[in-house]
Amino acid sequence: MKLLVCVKQVPDLESRFKPDAAGVWYNETDLAFRMNEYDEYAVEQAVQLREKLGEGTELTVLSIGPDRVVETIKKALAMGCDNAVHVQDVAASGKDSWQIASIIAAYAKDKCFDVIFTGMQSQDRGSAQVGVTIAEQLGFACTTTIVGFDYDNGTITAKRELEGGIKGVVKLKIPALVTCQLGLNIPRYPTLPNIMKAKRKEIVVIPVADMLKEEALVATGSFHPPAKKGGGIVLEGDVADLVEKVLAILKDKTAVLR
Amino acid sequence: MEATRQIYWNIGHGIVLPMYILAFAAIGVMVWGFWQRVPVWRQGKALDRFSRYNERIKRMLLEVFGQTKISRVTDGGLYHSIFFWSFLVLFAGTLLVMIQADLLTPLFQFNLLSGQFYKVFSLLLDVAGILSIIMLAGLFIRRFVIKPKGLEIVRDDYIVLQLLCAILVTGFLIEGVRMAATELQQNPALAIFSPGGLLVGQLFTSVPTATLLTVHTILWWSHFALVLGFFCAIPYTKLRHIFTTSANAFLAPFEPKGSIATINMEDETIEQFGAVTIQDLTWKDIFDADACTSCKRCQDRCPAYATDKPLSPMNIVKQIGELAVGNPAGNLIETVSQDALWSCTTCRACQEICPANIEHVNKIIEMRRNLTLMEGAFPGDEVRTAVSNIEVNGNPFGLAYAARGDWAEGLQLSLMEQDAEVDILYFVGCYASFDKRNQAIARNFIKICTAAGVKVGILGKEEKCCGEPVRKLGNEYLYQMTAAENIELMKAYNVKKIVTTCPHCFNTLARDYKDLGLDVPVEHYSTYINTLMDTNRLKLTPEPFSFTYHDSCYIGRYMDIIGQPRNILMQAGGSITEMDKNGYDSFCCGAGGGRIIAEEKLGSKISEARIKMAVDTGTPLLISNCPFCLTMFEDGIKTGGAEGELQVRDLAEIVAERIAA
Repeated sequence: MKLLVCVKQVPDLESRFKPDAAGVWYNETDLAFRMNEYDEYAVEQAVQLREKLGEGTELTVLSIGPDRVVETIKKALAMGCDNAVHVQDVAASGKDSWQIASIIAAYAKDKCFDVIFTGMQSQDRGSAQVGVTIAEQLGFACTTTIVGFDYDNGTITAKRELEGGIKGVVKLKIPALVTCQLGLNIPRYPTLPNIMKAKRKEIVVIPVADMLKEEALVATGSFHPPAKKGGGIVLEGDVADLVEKVLAILKDKTAVLR
Repeated sequence: MEATRQIYWNIGHGIVLPMYILAFAAIGVMVWGFWQRVPVWRQGKALDRFSRYNERIKRMLLEVFGQTKISRVTDGGLYHSIFFWSFLVLFAGTLLVMIQADLLTPLFQFNLLSGQFYKVFSLLLDVAGILSIIMLAGLFIRRFVIKPKGLEIVRDDYIVLQLLCAILVTGFLIEGVRMAATELQQNPALAIFSPGGLLVGQLFTSVPTATLLTVHTILWWSHFALVLGFFCAIPYTKLRHIFTTSANAFLAPFEPKGSIATINMEDETIEQFGAVTIQDLTWKDIFDADACTSCKRCQDRCPAYATDKPLSPMNIVKQIGELAVGNPAGNLIETVSQDALWSCTTCRACQEICPANIEHVNKIIEMRRNLTLMEGAFPGDEVRTAVSNIEVNGNPFGLAYAARGDWAEGLQLSLMEQDAEVDILYFVGCYASFDKRNQAIARNFIKICTAAGVKVGILGKEEKCCGEPVRKLGNEYLYQMTAAENIELMKAYNVKKIVTTCPHCFNTLARDYKDLGLDVPVEHYSTYINTLMDTNRLKLTPEPFSFTYHDSCYIGRYMDIIGQPRNILMQAGGSITEMDKNGYDSFCCGAGGGRIIAEEKLGSKISEARIKMAVDTGTPLLISNCPFCLTMFEDGIKTGGAEGELQVRDLAEIVAERIAA
């Protein structure tokens, strides 16, 4: 079997975000990058399936972006992926979900993948569209936000997270694509021998121009912090005074006591 | 009448040959016993512990004959030392008798054991014998009657105590019977130089001589048989420690305390990291198990054991020994248990007190290395997150690395990327950089330096975690990755001197980074401030306060910095009330060994135990000089209910408040 897992490198959310010069995305200065959290679940699930199927199964990791994404690819390799593809694109962050999905679909089209794993969404753009769009373009069965995964004899049984805490179970025939949600698994910490092995694995580099034939369908209008809507107040002092102060605030600024 | 005695009296010189044959046979059994042990030790990996043997021999002689390590703890230790010296005198005396009887007399017809010398010799041996028996009785009562908590009673304890006792008692009986038949009748004036024999001899004065002779013969052979038994028993009982514990004084490392083998990450042939079977340990680690006497001093001082966690350093050493003999292919980590391994704070209290020079901490780290590097295991999910935070943002909190230098806003210091011409580089560390409470320490330290006219530089957002917590948790790879970045940076800035406020950064930069190529003098602020004061660059206006001081493990035990911080605090006007556990015997705060990033889920809280000790001094103020300790104590005061009773402050805060205008 052939498996593909798509990963995105995103800035750590604790970083300090500033708009870039054009004001349509973030400036990368002082940002720390890491693998998109949901993609970590995808990699872990893909590796688990790879281990379950054993010999004869090949797991490829793919990432689109500038050279820095190689770090993320290496992490996926260290976690247990066999092959790696780096679609080199210094302007990946400016592309919309349609273009990103099209790049991946163009790559996957003639590779006969049986199962494709992606994260539910990225932590930075958060469109949650790339996975489903790839599936659509490739004509794969697809399910999203999975929190449980099982594979047996050509059928995937996936547990999905639905609204209001409800879970649903779906069965898909391969070829299929799943997008992974928090709770699916605990991503493994790569062992040192695997980190060493990952360093020696070849990463196939493909220029984005070879894969991308589509125009963007969505344009980002602006990137800016939300306007400040008042801050929190920390009250300190004697408990008796605090009670008075809280009461005054509740009377003054809220409707709860009216 | 000349003062001497007839050697082989009633036994005759005829037994010399069979006696020597039997003695050598017994020694043969002993050597054979140890020889059989060699393959057990050799299961471990190679390790050089034979270089600089002159120093090693010197150290061994001092520790063994000076009883320097065992005597540090009075309970048990004092009895042991006095017994050792007394028994040594008896052994030497017996050797002298042997030399006299079988060398001096037959070859030179010279009697050394006569006259005044004999009197002294005889008295000395009798006194030694009596002392030995008293000490044995003390040890017997301690083990079987008082039964100190944690002291096990095993088969060997019965054998060893009874065997030694029987040898000593039969010795006195032989002497007494001989004296009853000879000295007491012929030369009573001489008998007072054998007080032990005299006491016994008087019981036999009414016994007919012929009976005495028979009894004497039986006793002599019994005594001899017991001595032979003693030699034979050495390798097969705890008596082996006579040789193995002594050998460990020879084999102890010369590396600075806290040195951990730096794994060569470039070596692609290594496929196995850390220890999961005893073969992954060094031969010395296995030998340590044979050097252990189960004195449980390590266990008594282990903060994890004291707070009901499943760790006893003594037990780990014992388990290694049991596997090495009984199940060499067995899984070491399963035997020891992950919970025990993760519970260690690497405080080194075990190793510091061990009279047998056993190296507990690195064994634990080796097993943790296996868990971390081979299994990707963590003590808990919070640690997984913290480690991932260090990977991404260079600090365990996961805060933006770019904010690392924010605490320094408005202070007089230089960012190295702007101006690297500084007197010292202050390696701030994660806690003083990001943790609100500890940022005050960083700011106060800068205030102190500014007052002393020291130009300080910091790396700001370029600095990363020194790697200490992850290294102690076994993640050598991440440690070396972050260390390499720090080192490259500091080399590029041509740093001349580094000062840290964190003992963990201090140990790592000063000792561990050397292995990775950084050779710059590194100081902890406790010694740095002390020097600033000694050289009058920093002047304080003392204000009186009373306090107790907590020795951080990595400052006291690891770096021998005990007096300097106390000196600073005294000069600042402080009067100290020590906790019972202080200096080298200090009790960990619970945060070492990477525990700072782990939740304490097992047993009770170590920090609360330490806070209780501080409260017991009756002083309102606990002073520490470690960000981890400070954090743990602030916590322990809250959760342990000591709020209002005790406050914890940092050395730098006390000093900064008293800078002379």
